[in-house]
Amino acid sequence: MQGEGEVTTKGVNVERRRRMAAWVTQHVIPHERAVRAWLARHASQEDVDDVIQESYSRCAALDSVDHIHRPDAYFFSIARNLLVQRLRRARIVPIEAFAEIDAYQDDLRPSPEREAGGRIDYNRLLALIDSLPERRRRIVRMRKIEGLSQREIAERLGVSESIVENEVFRGVQAVQRAWRDGEAEAEARMAGEREQRP
Amino acid sequence: MTRSSASDIDADAARYVARMDRDDWSDAQERDLQDWLARDPRHPGALLRAQAAWMTLDLPRPAEAVPQDGLARFGWLSRRNLLAGGGAAIAASVAGALMLGGGTSYATSVGEIRRVPLADGSIAAINTASTIEVKLDDAVRHVRVEQGEAWFQVAKDRQRPFVVAAGRARVRAVGTAFSVRRRAGGADILVTEGEVEVWADGAEGHRVRLGAGSRGFVADDAAIEQASAAPSAIDRALAWRSGKVDLAGDRLDSAVAEFNRYNRRRLVVADPAIAGERLDGLFRTDDPEGFAQAVHITLGVPVDPSDPAQIRIGNPAR
Repeated sequence: MQGEGEVTTKGVNVERRRRMAAWVTQHVIPHERAVRAWLARHASQEDVDDVIQESYSRCAALDSVDHIHRPDAYFFSIARNLLVQRLRRARIVPIEAFAEIDAYQDDLRPSPEREAGGRIDYNRLLALIDSLPERRRRIVRMRKIEGLSQREIAERLGVSESIVENEVFRGVQAVQRAWRDGEAEAEARMAGEREQRP
Repeated sequence: MTRSSASDIDADAARYVARMDRDDWSDAQERDLQDWLARDPRHPGALLRAQAAWMTLDLPRPAEAVPQDGLARFGWLSRRNLLAGGGAAIAASVAGALMLGGGTSYATSVGEIRRVPLADGSIAAINTASTIEVKLDDAVRHVRVEQGEAWFQVAKDRQRPFVVAAGRARVRAVGTAFSVRRRAGGADILVTEGEVEVWADGAEGHRVRLGAGSRGFVADDAAIEQASAAPSAIDRALAWRSGKVDLAGDRLDSAVAEFNRYNRRRLVVADPAIAGERLDGLFRTDDPEGFAQAVHITLGVPVDPSDPAQIRIGNPAR
């Protein structure tokens, strides 16, 4: 085992992040917009963004997610608690507001609509990819759908790896935005309508 | 020091994710990332979110609504490009899809059943505790069933045959639907639509065509058996695709073996005298308790559920 300490730690960190991200991908991100919409009724846009990032930070600190049976409700309650802390600190909220926030917990119960809204629609994501500028779209497709590595993509397109990495960076930003603003759905709906037209 | 905005943090996180997405993530970069993560309580969340957002583009449709156990819940499709050496053992325990040798490998854990759309428009339904590897190239669509069982709905493409390998068995299709299951000594093939061609690796001269409703078995010694089966028998054998075990006069011991493919809690037939009793009914793959209860009622034999690790059916033999 000598000499492998660093590598192993890196490997473990990388794997741990990947596993947590996989869980968030499946169970949390699809619900983010609903949580944002709710937060926005009680806080400024700036506060909403901060609370969302901090809520994800709480998730990042988890050692295990095995005990979390309803991730959407879990994420909701983290965000709600962070918001309450924030409002208390700011001392700007009358006491009734807390009552309303507490009452909102009723909405955390699973409902068919919530289940449906929290599902990832693969076709919509494909449409999101298709809406990217030409080179970015090609690179994201090669990376995500064809499964080529960044290096292979660079070789195939005859560009440098840093160009590929930069397009991936822009691609990541596009998906970040999509999940925040619901563009993934909006873009895809438009794309879907275009296709359906004769 | 001014507090950075959420969008600046998101941009930094996206940069790290794009960099990690390459396959040469170094120790120095890991240290740099760790420093960044420690700098602001919002950073770890922003990174997690950026990484997860990027991974949503890997997603197939979620698996059919089959309740999953704790391990399976953690698993999902994702790629492992960055991992070397020490992490491999951890990764092996995680259900997911891994990139191997240019192909993508999908694994399910015990009790998990997953539908995966492939890039060519085909669909793979992967049964419990199975691993398949998919490599679509310009001439041939290759799939290898390393372990377990999968059913394929193959998108038509005359230019690119769809070839499934399972041990020595080879199954070739153009646009059709069939399942392949690796077993001790060979592989089982069930054809639900169209026609496939079956042979054994190294014995290409002997090829057998199987039509819808047929069943074939390619043995490791290259012998090929075929039989036609009633459509209902094929449907029953593939009931796992909707998370069910469908029994129609099946023996108790084989039904028990079937449930044990899907559950960590084992069913045990404690009395060999009842192993050949016949059973009927539709059960959930993840409900061995319900099945044991049905056996108790149907066969009038005792069932002992006191051990969390197993359910014993029948009085133990003396």
